[in-house]
Amino acid sequence: MTKQHSELVVVGGGPGGYAAAFYAAERGMKVTLVEKDDRLGGVCLLRGCIPSKALLHVAALIHEVDESTDRGVTYGKPRIDLDKMRAWKNSIIDKLAQGVSSLADRRQVTVINGRGYFEDPSNLRVETAAGQQFLSFDKAIIAVGSRPSIPSQFDLGNPRIMTSDDALEIEEIPDDMLVVGGGYIGMELGTVYAALGSNVVVVEALDALLSGADPDLVRPVRKKAEQSFKEIRVGARVGKMSTSGPQISVDIETGGKTVSELYDRVLIAIGRIPNCEDIGLENTAAALDDRGFITVNRQQQTAEPSLFAIGDVTGGVLLAHKAAREARVAVDAILGEDSAFEDIIIPAVVFTDPEVAWCGLTEVDAKERGVDVEVAKFPWSASGRALSFDRTDGLTKLIIDPSTERILGVGIVGAGAGELIGEGVVAIEMGATARDLAESVHPHPTLSETIMESAEAFFGQATHLISRRKKKSEPVE
Amino acid sequence: MQVKLPHLGEGATSGTVSGLLVKVGETVSAGQALIELESEKAVASIPSPSAGTIAEILVKEGDEISVGQPIVVLKNGGDEPSSMTKDQKERVSVAPSGKLVQDNDVPPVRQEASVPPAPLPSGIPPPAAPSLRKLARSLGIDLHLVRGSERGGRIVLSDLRSYIASLRENARAGTASQSGPVQPPAAPAIDFSKWGPVERKKLSQIRAAISRKMLESWTQVPHVTQFDEADITDLQRKRKIHSPYYKKQNANLTLTPFILKALVDLLKEYPVFNASLDSSTNELVFKSYYHFGIAVDTEHGLLVPVLRDADKKSLLELSVELVDLAERARKRSVTLDEMQGGTFTISNQGGIGGGHFTPIINTPEVAILGIGRGSLKPVFRTTRVEKRLMLPLALSYDHRVIDGADAARFVTGLIERLAGFKESEIRLTDPSKKN
Repeated sequence: MTKQHSELVVVGGGPGGYAAAFYAAERGMKVTLVEKDDRLGGVCLLRGCIPSKALLHVAALIHEVDESTDRGVTYGKPRIDLDKMRAWKNSIIDKLAQGVSSLADRRQVTVINGRGYFEDPSNLRVETAAGQQFLSFDKAIIAVGSRPSIPSQFDLGNPRIMTSDDALEIEEIPDDMLVVGGGYIGMELGTVYAALGSNVVVVEALDALLSGADPDLVRPVRKKAEQSFKEIRVGARVGKMSTSGPQISVDIETGGKTVSELYDRVLIAIGRIPNCEDIGLENTAAALDDRGFITVNRQQQTAEPSLFAIGDVTGGVLLAHKAAREARVAVDAILGEDSAFEDIIIPAVVFTDPEVAWCGLTEVDAKERGVDVEVAKFPWSASGRALSFDRTDGLTKLIIDPSTERILGVGIVGAGAGELIGEGVVAIEMGATARDLAESVHPHPTLSETIMESAEAFFGQATHLISRRKKKSEPVE
Repeated sequence: MQVKLPHLGEGATSGTVSGLLVKVGETVSAGQALIELESEKAVASIPSPSAGTIAEILVKEGDEISVGQPIVVLKNGGDEPSSMTKDQKERVSVAPSGKLVQDNDVPPVRQEASVPPAPLPSGIPPPAAPSLRKLARSLGIDLHLVRGSERGGRIVLSDLRSYIASLRENARAGTASQSGPVQPPAAPAIDFSKWGPVERKKLSQIRAAISRKMLESWTQVPHVTQFDEADITDLQRKRKIHSPYYKKQNANLTLTPFILKALVDLLKEYPVFNASLDSSTNELVFKSYYHFGIAVDTEHGLLVPVLRDADKKSLLELSVELVDLAERARKRSVTLDEMQGGTFTISNQGGIGGGHFTPIINTPEVAILGIGRGSLKPVFRTTRVEKRLMLPLALSYDHRVIDGADAARFVTGLIERLAGFKESEIRLTDPSKKN
């Protein structure tokens, strides 16, 4: 069998991998993209961001219908056709996956569907359905991503104990559902199942939900979840699980007391682990950190000079948009350009109800790092737009450097927060000051005004907010 | 805030306050000189890290102070950086001894560029658009050093332009005295391990100092090296005759004391070789003392202790002192005092071997004599070829102040002088009487 040679081989066709392959191809390289799945798109498209957002759209629709009676429109009780819902969700995935494939074709990126295995720092063996293929390369980018972590004591081989991969398939709507982990995955999927009618209990080992986000941004999410979920238990640990007839018996310990409860389905959403095994890394000098992620330098280069790594497999925040940015840094570096993943802001969005989004410095960060900041807030109760669709449970805040008035961080909770955070990213990346935001006209009536008004609040001059002191705001209730 | 004495560079850790440039109650701007500090080989003005009012002065003229010691208490309304920024540390301007750097020496562009940006909270990147950051990275410019002119200290393209212009201006400003220690141009990082196993070792303090000093001299002084050979056949014969008498006085009569003696005479005849150039005033500083830098090869690297007042010393005294200096240099027990104030340097490789080489001038001196190993050569003398002991001489000189003809005259004179040592000059009749 002849060995094919590529200037660049990208292993993993997720949002990091395909972005790297496409960008490298645009820059004139001969690129081969190796994907073990039969479709491109990775977790994000096939088992993550996209399908979960489709289902969350359904959840939002159900809530909206519920609440519309107060607005004078009453619908009947929703009839849920899971097969149809799943087909609709899958059609979205198909459309996008096909789109990515055709983009690969148009850029003349060779796609091989199979599992890649490094035989040495310049050769990759690919196990395809049709047998082995051998590729030699000048440089390779490892973008093999991550998968849900499921500790062995929970892994009973019982399909009723699910990871996010399984939960997104919505095989059924369980009566009683336990979500282990109150991070973004657990909260998002909990929201879906609760809307579909399950009694959802969320158990979180830490003292707060959505750790990493500022507490004032999490508060409205928790308040809403306490209404739509059956229960939220923080500081609680799941001990043992066992199959009990058609159900799962779960031991949950809270404050030293352990109770055994029965659930129809359990979702394990305690984190994700990198897919570093079985890709032949041991045949290269690439090194892993103590948590099993591939160690890279600022140019995404591993300890093996010919290998670069991007995305989830390198750790940090496991987000598609981080991977996509790293993809460009790595390709630029491979092309010999000065590039570095440095001082780059990665926004985070949690698609709960309401959504939480933040970027740059958080208040918690600032406190931990001893950075002196001022925080300007604008509660959505003062936003006409938020009132107009009954969602005043929102807050926009700016984290500001008091000496330069520069925007260091933006945090938003509220309906559609994820769509608003982009302005925060641009403001921070561009080095904008509170004055810049306050003096940029934002369209009325929109939620984007809350960003402008937060900036005005910093100067004690928000139109729709009474401030007692300059640079300090008091919420209007 | 207390303003502390910043790191001075070049291994200097302390100095003497040679001048107070501010008074209590005075309003100072960031970068304004607070005190003048004399240290090792330099006089430095210490700038204020930020704007404010002088609340208290904690040192007085003549005080010996060390790095980290508080100098003044600054009261200010604005930002109070807890320590000097990297930029400010680098900006402590260093001038050779005897030359004070004054604020008005500094060209205006440089002054503007030297105003440091306000320090950022730790880990917060400088405020600049991603496109500008990419540009700065490709130009190798650290944006932390660039002052942003826009609101909130935001850096825009014009700030980058003026920073680059100021760098160019600084480079053009020329001499070491104005632009501080010359930094070697950053070479692209090369991965030598690609071609075989390598080991990396940090430069020792002394190696780093030599490296800086050499680069500074090499890049800032136009060097010319004059080669010649001195016939020391007769001198060698005389030296051998008298050496045992010196031995009795516990002195080792080598060639070097003769060379020093001869050089004193030549330097008196051609005083420009014993001068320094003050380029800030365009003046030549002529010295009526003859202090020789003696290059000593030590296990730590090159050291150049100074032998003072060679003109007032006998061959015997020079012999004794040379041995003592070299020994103490090797033990690293020469004091900082003994390392400064040289007016002319010699580098004698004769003990090791070697012919002609091109010595680098020990600035702010203007000339250096390199001496190789004497060797027997066939030489035409009047009508026949004779076997003569010839000593390779290499005189490097600063062509800004010395012309080639003078250098040729100097070397020729030196050769004549070496050949012409009289017995009476060497003979030890009475050790208490100077030759």
